[in-house]
Amino acid sequence: MAYIEFKDVCKEYKMGEITIKALNKTNFSIEKGELVVVVGPSGAGKTTALNILGGMDSVTSGDVIVDGKNVAQLKNKALIKYRREDIGFVFQFYNLVQNLTAIENVELATQICKDSLSPEEVMEKVGLADRKKNFPSQLSGGEQQRVAIARAIAKNPKLLLCDEPTGALDYKTGKQILKLLQDTARKENMTVIIITHNAAIAQMADKIIRFKNGTAESIENNQNPIPVENIEW
Amino acid sequence: MKVKKALIKDIFKEIKKSYKRFISILLMALLGVGFFAGLRASSPDMVESIDTYYKNQNVYDIQVMSTLGLTNQDIEALSNIENVENVYGTYSRDGLIKVEDKEIVSKILCIDDVNKPVLVEGNMPENIDECVVEKSFLEGANKKIGDTIEIEPEKTESTGTTEGEETEYLKNKTLKIVGVAESPLYISRERGNSKLGTGVINYYIYVNRENIHSEVYTEIYITLENREKYQTGSNKYETYVEETKNKIEEIKEERENARYQELIDEANEEITKAEEEFNVEKQNGETQLQEAENKINEGKAQIETGEAEINRNERKANEQFENAEAQIESAKLEIAQNALRLNNEKIEAEKGFQEAENQKAGLQSTLDNINNAIKITNNSIAEKQAELEIAETEEEKTVIKQEIANLQATRQVYETNRQTVQAGIAQINNQIASGRQELQNAEAQIQTAKNELQKQEATLKQTKNTSYAQITKAKKELEDSKQEIAEAEAELEKARAEFDSKIEEAEGKLIDAKEKVSEIERAEWYILDREQNVGYSSYMQDTESIENISVVFPIVFFAIAALVSLTSMTRMVEEERQEIGTLKALGYNKFHIMLKYLIYSSLACIIGGVIGMNIGFQLLPRIVWDMYEMMYTLPEFIVAFNHQYSSTGLGLIYICIVGATLYTILKEVKETPATLLRPKAPKYGKRVLLERVGFIWKRLKFSHKVTVRNIFRYKKRFLMTIIGIMGCTSLILAGFGLKDSISSILPNQYEDICHYDMLVSLKTSLTVEQKERYIEELKQKDGLQEVVQTYMESGTTVKGDNSENLQIVVPNNHEEFDKVITLRDVKTEEPFTLSEEGIIITDKLAELTNTKVGENITVTNAADIEKEMKVVGITENYISHYVYMSKELYQQTFGETYHTNVLLVQDNQLNEEQEKTIMQEMVAQNEVSTVTLTTTTMKTLDDTMSSLNYVVVILIVSAGLLAFVVLYNLSNINIGERIRELATIKVLGFYDREVYDYITRETILLTIIGILLGLVAGYFLNFYILGTCEINILRFEKIVHPVSYFYAAGITLVFSIIVNIVTYFALKKIDMIGSLKSVE
Repeated sequence: MAYIEFKDVCKEYKMGEITIKALNKTNFSIEKGELVVVVGPSGAGKTTALNILGGMDSVTSGDVIVDGKNVAQLKNKALIKYRREDIGFVFQFYNLVQNLTAIENVELATQICKDSLSPEEVMEKVGLADRKKNFPSQLSGGEQQRVAIARAIAKNPKLLLCDEPTGALDYKTGKQILKLLQDTARKENMTVIIITHNAAIAQMADKIIRFKNGTAESIENNQNPIPVENIEW
Repeated sequence: MKVKKALIKDIFKEIKKSYKRFISILLMALLGVGFFAGLRASSPDMVESIDTYYKNQNVYDIQVMSTLGLTNQDIEALSNIENVENVYGTYSRDGLIKVEDKEIVSKILCIDDVNKPVLVEGNMPENIDECVVEKSFLEGANKKIGDTIEIEPEKTESTGTTEGEETEYLKNKTLKIVGVAESPLYISRERGNSKLGTGVINYYIYVNRENIHSEVYTEIYITLENREKYQTGSNKYETYVEETKNKIEEIKEERENARYQELIDEANEEITKAEEEFNVEKQNGETQLQEAENKINEGKAQIETGEAEINRNERKANEQFENAEAQIESAKLEIAQNALRLNNEKIEAEKGFQEAENQKAGLQSTLDNINNAIKITNNSIAEKQAELEIAETEEEKTVIKQEIANLQATRQVYETNRQTVQAGIAQINNQIASGRQELQNAEAQIQTAKNELQKQEATLKQTKNTSYAQITKAKKELEDSKQEIAEAEAELEKARAEFDSKIEEAEGKLIDAKEKVSEIERAEWYILDREQNVGYSSYMQDTESIENISVVFPIVFFAIAALVSLTSMTRMVEEERQEIGTLKALGYNKFHIMLKYLIYSSLACIIGGVIGMNIGFQLLPRIVWDMYEMMYTLPEFIVAFNHQYSSTGLGLIYICIVGATLYTILKEVKETPATLLRPKAPKYGKRVLLERVGFIWKRLKFSHKVTVRNIFRYKKRFLMTIIGIMGCTSLILAGFGLKDSISSILPNQYEDICHYDMLVSLKTSLTVEQKERYIEELKQKDGLQEVVQTYMESGTTVKGDNSENLQIVVPNNHEEFDKVITLRDVKTEEPFTLSEEGIIITDKLAELTNTKVGENITVTNAADIEKEMKVVGITENYISHYVYMSKELYQQTFGETYHTNVLLVQDNQLNEEQEKTIMQEMVAQNEVSTVTLTTTTMKTLDDTMSSLNYVVVILIVSAGLLAFVVLYNLSNINIGERIRELATIKVLGFYDREVYDYITRETILLTIIGILLGLVAGYFLNFYILGTCEINILRFEKIVHPVSYFYAAGITLVFSIIVNIVTYFALKKIDMIGSLKSVE
């Protein structure tokens, strides 16, 4: 059994009279330690899938198994516990707490986790040891995203979910971020899922899931992932 | 037009979308306007109510009273003054009514066209034996409509000429109660003071005007022209009244003098009359005395002449008697001689007689011859006559006739001879007879003389005796007269002395009367207006207190409303930044863009405001009125929709809310569309000062650090929360503090100051012995511990325009008195002792009259004697004003002897039932007028004061609403502003509770700061409110019980907890995905 399994997951939104099917019987599986890239056009359901996987959204039907646990069945508090202990999120717009310094943003996450990593070490890992006392507003976009990643990985999660982590960044910075994510997945043996609309990036992944019209249209195992440095787009 | 339609649609959508914000602005407007309009209107509503009442009852504008009463001339003079519409002369007098051994002092008013009473029940009196009473009279006197009451005959007040005589103020003193009425002159419980009974007027009653018997009016009431145009108490009204009063002031002296002169003239006239009478009487008396004296003198003179005469007479008598006796002797001698001579003559005469007798005898014989011749002749004649008869011839007849004639001539000769002889005999006879007669006469003469002499002798003897008897008698009479005169003189002396003393007395009386005339005090007019009516003025004062309070509260509300709407609207504008940018980019002008926000906030503001004012106008004045209804009797409370306050309130809140909106939106629309389309740069995080204090910062938990930082990040919210909470806490604390202060009055007064359980008024009619006997009796009574004798009377003191009623208390014995009333310094609590040096006054009185120890104060006692007295102590007291003075000082100052009229009784911790039993026993006794139980007094006061709980409730409810709205609003804004941050931490896996803590930790900290500051502010606010609503006769102790701080803090916390619970659910509902997806 795979580490993560999506089984016939459906997600419907009711917008007044109309029911929109964001996910329609989606099925895929991911192994532990894999770096997965999810690609697809806007509205294909990739973010919905990620939110469900991250315990931020509920399913209409189907099962989501993460490390033997059916996340789809979890109730409020258990769901929060799941988010708290098993999931790390990285967003397009960093979502750092403006009022906290870089390291404090990391601490915000670590203080609620049992097996958290040392914030200082994580900062060092993301290469921001010397800027850890800066406020987000004093950091560049890339640096802020690093802090966001640091905050996500400091929790030592089972899954690191990244929704368009480079969407707001320039090419070079974006590359650095992707590199950091790839390195993290390799070094820490962490399962990382990255959503992107940039198909070129897909080559860096161990597995590429392509979404279209609310389903995982194809799942491709990439035998030879290319290091990010070598990808051009 | 299209634009407008779209705009309106947009606005309604916006309202629907952000209904919470809309409602919170609406609520702020509602509260702000409601409180402002409602509270502000309370005072005008109260004024309007009394104004309407007074206009309906035709209540006076100006009252004129005079020390010497008022007359019709006064009325006429007053009628001529400009602006005066009607002048009413009327009467009022205090009367004593005895009901079941209770003495009730009542003001007896008469029904008139001015100050008309309102009939509540029954009928108005139509006859002179009817009356109407006030409602509480029925309870107090235990009477009902249809019962009768008896007014005690009263004595006039001394007004110069008359003093203390019983007068007939009422023609009919037995009155039947026919109805219950309310007087506009007595709207408060205060009825004033009286010289009768206990000195306090208990009730008023109205009688028919015809029942009143009085030469002068006791007062004149004036109503002014066009007064319906002015509202009572308004500046215009007061100026108008003042102007007219000044005009009356101009004629005042003239009228005073006129009245004075009238009385003087009357009195003088009487004196003149009396004087005249006196003079006449005096004259009469003197004349009578004079007459008596004259008579005595005359008598004396008579006695003197009488005496002289008697003496003279005596002398004369002696002389006469001697003469007479001598005469008698000589007469006797003469008679003897005469008798002798007579005897000789007798012998001779006898010889002569013999001779004559002889002659006579010769003549007799001649006479016999003649008589014979005559007889023959007569016969011849008779023959011839017979022949004549027979003769036939004439010749014969003639011859016969001739012969007869011859014969007749012969007879004639004979006749003549006879006559001569007869005469001769007669002569001789006569000679003899006369001779004899002579002899006889002589004899008789001698005899007579003898007799005479004898008689004379006897007469003389008798006369002598009589004379001497007479003299003796006269002498005796004289003696008697002398005696009488002496008596008369003594009597005269007595009468004179009597007369003198009478005259002296009468003169004295006249002098007294004259003196009294000079003592007639000059009339003094008192020109008063409604302000001097106790009920009216305290009512108006209270409306001012409410007015003052109504200024403070709305300010708090408006300030908070402005702040809350400022933040709300700022948030709204910020949220819609992009929309504004888009509109601007599309080419809408500033005005169109602004219009949406302005209409949005205006709608909230106006809807809220209109609802608020409608609730406020109805609710708040009624609540306020409910409180004051306990103290005032007005037939109707008028709740008016006050356009002034509604528009001001709405205007103010509009300025606050829409102004705040305008301020925010103006800032925003100035920006270029490009700037607007970019998200607003988030507020930068900053280190706070505390971080530099390493040793504290390091010790703080991470979450606490976040809290601290956040607090300083959102300064506006920080301030608003603190202000809101502070306002709430301070209002609640002020409410509780007010309650503390008020509820401390009773225990302070009756546990710390007054220790007596009963106040027993003795009847005024008792003699000293009766009183002493009763007091002794009372002291022996079971259950009573102390019976302390005092003298109490009501008095006043005047300071500036204010006059304060007070009670003069004179203890009989200081040591005893100390047991029932504690006199002590307010601050040091050092006890005072009464001395002759000065008086001790209560602290509130000192405060009101601005008097300090060592200064003087003017005290007027019940008999209207005004005295300056030195204050030697200011004592702690909470209810009413008292002036304490020693017996000696009282007697010295007011010149009246001390007599006990009130007993302060302390019992042996009896319960209420037992006290009541004792009270009933006492009242049943003849000596007692009234008994007041301290427990009853406390209950009554407690009832009145509990009405002030309303204030507390108003304060707490309004404060709670305020706190809720503020906190809820702020919390909404807080969540709205930081929704991303909250979504983030939720994604990070914060439990609901942790998310809640994350955000409310700030709120709680701010709430605590707000509460602490609020407790401080409330302490001062409490004092301010106490100051504005303090009642003159009560001293509010400025205290706040610790438990009140606890309540204030607790209630505020409860409100913030309610808000926090709401927040908890709002936080739970935060949509993580939606919040994080958007561009920051």
